[in-house]
Amino acid sequence: MAGAFVVEGLHKSFGALHAVNDVSLDIEAGQVHSLIGPNGAGKTTLFNCITGFLRPDAGKVLLNGSDVTHLQSHKLVKSGIVRTFQITQVFGELSARENVELAARSREGLNFDLFRKASACREAREDAEEALEVVGLIEKAHLRPEELGHGDKRVLEVAIGLALNPEVLLLDEPTAGMSRTETERIARLVRQIADRTSVLLVEHDTEVVLSISDKITVMTQGRVIAQGPPEQVSQDPQVQDAYLGAVEVEGD
Amino acid sequence: MAVSPDVENRVEDASRVRSREIATRVLLAVSALLVLAVPFLNASPFFITLLTEALIFGIWAMSLDLLVGYTGLVSFGHAASFGFATYAAGIFAMNVSADFFLSTFVAILAAAAVAFFTGLVVTRLSGIAFAILTLCICQVLFQISVVWRSFTGGLDGLIGVPLPTLFGREVEPGEEFYLLTAVTLIVCYLLLRRVVESPFGKTLLAIRANEDRAAAIGIDVRRHKLVILILSWMTGGVAGTLFVFLKAGANPMTLYWIESGNILAITILGGIGTLFGPIIGAIGFIFIRDEVTTLYRAWQFSFGLAFVLAVLFMPSGIAGVAEKIWRRLWPARS
Repeated sequence: MAGAFVVEGLHKSFGALHAVNDVSLDIEAGQVHSLIGPNGAGKTTLFNCITGFLRPDAGKVLLNGSDVTHLQSHKLVKSGIVRTFQITQVFGELSARENVELAARSREGLNFDLFRKASACREAREDAEEALEVVGLIEKAHLRPEELGHGDKRVLEVAIGLALNPEVLLLDEPTAGMSRTETERIARLVRQIADRTSVLLVEHDTEVVLSISDKITVMTQGRVIAQGPPEQVSQDPQVQDAYLGAVEVEGD
Repeated sequence: MAVSPDVENRVEDASRVRSREIATRVLLAVSALLVLAVPFLNASPFFITLLTEALIFGIWAMSLDLLVGYTGLVSFGHAASFGFATYAAGIFAMNVSADFFLSTFVAILAAAAVAFFTGLVVTRLSGIAFAILTLCICQVLFQISVVWRSFTGGLDGLIGVPLPTLFGREVEPGEEFYLLTAVTLIVCYLLLRRVVESPFGKTLLAIRANEDRAAAIGIDVRRHKLVILILSWMTGGVAGTLFVFLKAGANPMTLYWIESGNILAITILGGIGTLFGPIIGAIGFIFIRDEVTTLYRAWQFSFGLAFVLAVLFMPSGIAGVAEKIWRRLWPARS
């Protein structure tokens, strides 16, 4: 179930560096919201603050109106906020299917179940298969991550995220290091999963961002410099100046 | 989506995998029967006692494998689980009841309690910090056992622990006690195998691989570490109970850091993450210790050499090599 997700005035500094400076976001249920900005703009720090890997200095994170700001990472997952990582971090010894099943069992609250075989958890198995089906990996489910191509590995991350049945899925550069066709595949996938979960997407490929986002937030040096629907953001002179630079914007 | 033929070749044939699994079960059952049959094979009392000790170390090494092999937590203070239980079971047997089940229960409970409080601190850590802090806690217990003479007997330890009783009947030392140990080992193995194959066991693998990633799929890393630490110590406690009855006494040296080092070496030599390997490692260790001593006195040298060679040439331990051979005997890929 897609949820409404709000970030209010989030702030995080490391010493004198304001990595995230008064950032606010508002994602309506079922929307794809993209976060763009040059390297070092604070996108990943913002992700880490939202998902409990870093403690924000100030600000609030709200999911469907309730405050989830200081929950630990694993509790945030239970409440419906799920992330993927910029660098692929799937579990190398397990097959793709087992990777996703692990997440599905976790969602079903079986993490402390000592009394049955992991392989006998039917519901988790079915959920995992469904998630693999959605991302188009079902044919390769038996392979281990090292046997998958780079693109498939990134897609596997998304499947793991989906198996956790998120209300908001935070994708940290899912297309990093991908070829053109692979990037398009991820872009289609992101649009497709938006009917079951809201998406906050960090992405460098401006073309992808402009084509699939409902709303875009542009960050530089920890600050939000523009926010709004793609048409509006792409016309913003400040954005063109600071980030898009010479990139040609369609319809321009 | 089309799967390339190259990929298809890597698919393990399900029926072959199944037949290998059956073969593995048969092998394990035969091993278990063999272990149980030893007293009926005209073995010398000396051999029986030695093997009893080896199997006790096997239970203890399995308990460490839960931490090192399955969770990636290298404990350098695992003597604590064993040594503490020898005192708990010994003092209980001397003062209250020598009933084997009751003594084991008390020792398990005591080990779990200490593991719980240890865990509150050490589960925040991993890697070197975890190793060092577990070592420290073990040394603290060692010091207590030496200093608190009125309770622990100081450096002399506990002397005169009675024979254990089972359903009101004394268990004779030698063959009977061996059988009790062997059955306990088999029960522990089967229970722990269940644990590592349960959803809980699989989440441990995720924690071992990457704690942040594990947290990001909703796994409470600290609580899992705490639970596995407690389970590990409880199993170590079972080994400690058997040991105190075997030796009819407890000694502070079982809490010394050298014992922690030995059991870690045994577990690694046997093959971590296999449960079975550490048992083999323990049998190897005890026999090198006692048999090589009769040839020359520097038995530690032989074990050290075996350990170094193992780390260099078979990092997955004896069990790892055995598994490779076993997989070759029962190939699952055409």
